[in-house]
Amino acid sequence: MEELESGVAVAEPGQSLQLEAEAEAERPGSAPLPGLHHKLLRLPLSRIKGLMKADPDVSLASQEAVFAIGKATELFVEVIAKDAYTFALQGKRKTIQRKDVDNAVDATDEFAFLEGTLD
Amino acid sequence: MASASGNNDDDLTIPRAAINKIIKQILPNVRVANDAREMVVNCCTEFIHLISSEANEICNKSDKKTISPEHIMQALESLGFGSYITEVKEVLRECKTVALERRKASSRLENLGIPEEELLRQQQELFAKARQQQAELAQQEWLQMQQAAQQAQLAASTANKAGSSQDEEEEEET
Repeated sequence: MEELESGVAVAEPGQSLQLEAEAEAERPGSAPLPGLHHKLLRLPLSRIKGLMKADPDVSLASQEAVFAIGKATELFVEVIAKDAYTFALQGKRKTIQRKDVDNAVDATDEFAFLEGTLD
Repeated sequence: MASASGNNDDDLTIPRAAINKIIKQILPNVRVANDAREMVVNCCTEFIHLISSEANEICNKSDKKTISPEHIMQALESLGFGSYITEVKEVLRECKTVALERRKASSRLENLGIPEEELLRQQQELFAKARQQQAELAQQEWLQMQQAAQQAQLAASTANKAGSSQDEEEEEET
């Protein structure tokens, strides 16, 4: 865990913790099998799959591919949240506001595709 | 939640609660304004579209028909998200482990299964027992009824005798 000057602890990505078994991708509500205690993703796979399929050009994706995108999306959220937080701190605020997220988008080349989101 | 109410695929987003959880884990004790959260939710949608689209192109160029996790990882790399690959690989490994455990667990369950003839036999046994218990119960109830009836008769005839002797006395006096 790294600590920022304000004394607030920030978790490293991937430090995320155990949870209960999610046996099958398409049934996030299903009961865990006894003995398994790891939830692989925090985002619902069915929704991710739906989002992928919304693009008519996108062909079939394997379940593992959906997992892969899901994990990447979780990491994306962590990164953009942390970046936005940095801007909030610069503005001497403890609450992350919309403009902090905007600044995070502007500050990173890879986030160029997000220009104009939610306008 | 099933979206049977006619939602457009285009209205899909990652559920807010899931995003909130991730943010909370990585920035505990930090407040996030609602419109900032909304923005992150929408950015996720864009992110998924971006990666899918790129992976799709990579897939088309390959000899595969289905987008594989490798295509996803190549897409991440080419779009500047190569730093995500290590953890994506880790999740895929865990995926395989979970799948393996599930297969082992379900085959163990199948082996525990009782064969059908044995189940039938157990069922017959249970029925026979139940019938016997019912018969015993019925017999007890019958006996009790008989006893109750006898006592009632006894009581009635005693009362009658007492009543009639009183009448005789009265008659003699007048």
